[in-house]
Amino acid sequence: MAAPSQMATSQLYCWEGDWDLPSVDNECLIVLAYAKFAGAPLKLHKIGNPWRSPTGSLPALKTRKNGSLSQPSDIIIHLRKQKYNADFDLSAKEEADTLAFISLLEEKLMPALVYTRWIDPKNYVEVTRRWHAKHAPFPLNFFLPGSIQRQQLERLRLVRGDEELTAGEELELYCDFFFGDSPSPLDSFVFGYLHLKSLDNLSHFCSNILALYFPSEGREGFSRKVSSQPEGGDADNEPGKRRKQLLSVLVALGAMLSYALLTGIVAIQHVKQEDVGCKDEDRTPVA
Amino acid sequence: MSLAAEAFVSQIAGCRGPERTISRIKQSAEPWPENATLYQPLREDQILLSDCASSLAVQAYLRMCNLPVHVSCRSNAEYMSPSGKVPFVHVGNQVVSELGPIVQFTKAKGHSLSDGLDDVQRAEMKAYMELVNNMLLTAELYIQWCDDTTATEISRPRYSSPYSWPLNQILAYQKQWEVRRKMNAIGWAGKSLEQVYEDVSQCCQALSQRLGTQPYFFNKQPTELDALVFGHLFTILTTRLTSDELGEKIKSYSNLLAFCRRIEQSYFEDSQAGSSSRGYSKGPSLF
Repeated sequence: MAAPSQMATSQLYCWEGDWDLPSVDNECLIVLAYAKFAGAPLKLHKIGNPWRSPTGSLPALKTRKNGSLSQPSDIIIHLRKQKYNADFDLSAKEEADTLAFISLLEEKLMPALVYTRWIDPKNYVEVTRRWHAKHAPFPLNFFLPGSIQRQQLERLRLVRGDEELTAGEELELYCDFFFGDSPSPLDSFVFGYLHLKSLDNLSHFCSNILALYFPSEGREGFSRKVSSQPEGGDADNEPGKRRKQLLSVLVALGAMLSYALLTGIVAIQHVKQEDVGCKDEDRTPVA
Repeated sequence: MSLAAEAFVSQIAGCRGPERTISRIKQSAEPWPENATLYQPLREDQILLSDCASSLAVQAYLRMCNLPVHVSCRSNAEYMSPSGKVPFVHVGNQVVSELGPIVQFTKAKGHSLSDGLDDVQRAEMKAYMELVNNMLLTAELYIQWCDDTTATEISRPRYSSPYSWPLNQILAYQKQWEVRRKMNAIGWAGKSLEQVYEDVSQCCQALSQRLGTQPYFFNKQPTELDALVFGHLFTILTTRLTSDELGEKIKSYSNLLAFCRRIEQSYFEDSQAGSSSRGYSKGPSLF
């Protein structure tokens, strides 16, 4: 068993979650799911700005000794080396099958998902770009979604596969968890890629994993095993949010006060006091 | 950006590859002609490891189906191919490139090796074929073009050997640049040569575990997966590169060696003089 202190300082940076998921990005979901299955203690940072991650992209794992890793497969291999392993019970054949199906998923499903999120015009404008612009800090929100879209388009152009939907039918055959009752790295990959529901078996598979391993997404973060500090994750955002709110309230107050001063609302009060005084004087001679 | 997205959408809609080819073929279900030809780059001077492996896989598949094909070597085979990749076959008045579409094409003509498989086995077969493409083929491309020693001493001179200066320099560097961009897009650019060898070893381990003690991957009869694995492993074993490490990785799995020998003896005995490692005329003698 590896020394827990060695793992405790490993930090995982992921995209924030939304729409009932722990994270909006496929690759982050893969890594999160695997860490959950293997019970790896990681300090979790959920952020909306990839520039804050140690490698400049998300997901990223910052380890104490080995620097920072960014490919999901590299992260999973690192976790395995630290003895946080979700596939002890797999037989040799099942391990081989795992590797094969991961390749199948990456080759067939990945292009379809990237297309759906980033290339399809309606989806991109209404959902993806809006989400990223909302969650990125001020100057970045103008050009971050566009730059990610260009990267994804380039990646898809170089790796394009033709038959986008048939791979889903192949996986239909495997219900529940793929190999036995406890999940494995393949399950984390499948979950990561399949959160967009299209086939009944597969959406059932996803809701199983969500119910068992991610009981409350978003607010509280993870339960028990992942000794992350979601407050730490949220606190990274809160000062920013609070600062923005305070600033906007102050600006509004300042605007109202200056308007009041300039248009003489305060001056009117002075006039009213004089009026009161004048009225008294007027009355006295009559009476 | 929307223009780019539109172009991409129309490209995806237009390149429905296998389905379109099949629908055209179903309209004219002619028998396999005698003069079918397979085109590949020049065997002695030009062809590289990855192309040779792909070509051998297709030849093995066609021999397993008992379909006669004549191999023709052309220096501009890559440019003649409809998808830009070799090998491609010219059958009747159809031109089909790469193993996947060729398998679909022969299936439409009534010749198939995977009819006897049930759904689960077919899913496994597809997954393992993707594994080979994802790991072995990508590793071959990496070693050829991203490793500076191999690129300078072997790949660039061979690739551009039919052309004169300055075209040979331009084409060689263009191809190298294109492959490096692809490696970047799929996340292999950051890998070292050692990591690539490690990936190849992992892939071979998975294949070896799946094969076990059976004669073929799906016990009694060879399928397209056997052809693909044979094509890659045999080519790696019979090709001399700057270092022997790749071949050594494969040789450590005795059942894979026996598998290659078995297929060579069953399907290629008429065209080769001598036994496995050096006498096989189809393997290029690089360096």
